[in-house]
Amino acid sequence: MGKQRKFLILVLILALIGFFGYNYLYQDHRDIKTETSQLEITAPYLLERFKKNDAEDLLNKTITVTGIVTDLEEGAITLEESVYASFNESFSNVSVNQKVSIKGRCIGYDELFEIVKLDQCSLIK
Amino acid sequence: MKTTTIFLIICFACVASAMGQGKYATKTGQINFEASVPSFEEVKAKNTDVSAVLDAASGNFAALALMKGFRFKVALMEEHFNENYIESSKYPKATFKGTIQDFDISEVAGKKEYLIKGTFNLHSVDKNMEVPAVISVNGDVVSLTAHFVMHPEDFNIKIPSIVSNKIAEDVNVSVEFNLQQQ
Repeated sequence: MGKQRKFLILVLILALIGFFGYNYLYQDHRDIKTETSQLEITAPYLLERFKKNDAEDLLNKTITVTGIVTDLEEGAITLEESVYASFNESFSNVSVNQKVSIKGRCIGYDELFEIVKLDQCSLIK
Repeated sequence: MKTTTIFLIICFACVASAMGQGKYATKTGQINFEASVPSFEEVKAKNTDVSAVLDAASGNFAALALMKGFRFKVALMEEHFNENYIESSKYPKATFKGTIQDFDISEVAGKKEYLIKGTFNLHSVDKNMEVPAVISVNGDVVSLTAHFVMHPEDFNIKIPSIVSNKIAEDVNVSVEFNLQQQ
């Protein structure tokens, strides 16, 4: 009786360790779309912060950027030639010269094009 | 986890371009790297937002990849890559600057192999490399693909011994750029 109970408890503990261990190792990716954005900023000002080296704390953060669309391509929107936002999902109803707000993850400053890049973006109206 | 992988980053691409003049560029170049060891979890990542610029007249080529743009299948692996190995908050980008040897866009005709000589900068370490690349020209698009091997220790990226058997020492990197005439 006592032995059986000990055995059961041991099995239970192992199962719990396995469960939490697995969840830790295979945790889900962040879902940028449902995260609350930590900053709202205009596209030119975001670029200016990176040029002044005053934006390290924004890396990997979910932020909302507003601006006029200056370029549209498949899967990406450029705001005021300052911010390049790439999308995993498709988007519609966006046209050049329109003002939009985009939520995404800030991944850094691209010196080649002098542009700030966001990925996993979604449009918020 | 394995981080070795890290390096990869780089990109380079290069390109040739067409028609002899002009600048070619892309913001959606791809870099894949893999440092998997058989029977362990695959160590593999992809970045599809790599920038690259080619000056067709001189053969000068530059590419830049933001390290946080590398996506892994396993979220924890991505976190370890960024925080422990590549230290992407401290060193957010990897760059390549180089020249395509004997490049003349008018001679590309279809597909041609070139050697690109240049400098990788990754994890704030510079390393000179020669990378063979295949370049093709199609209208106003220059495509450049390359495959090469990198070693984390060359870039001062340390893999703890506890995971070193799960990360290959040779990191296979492949890059692809479709550069549009500007």
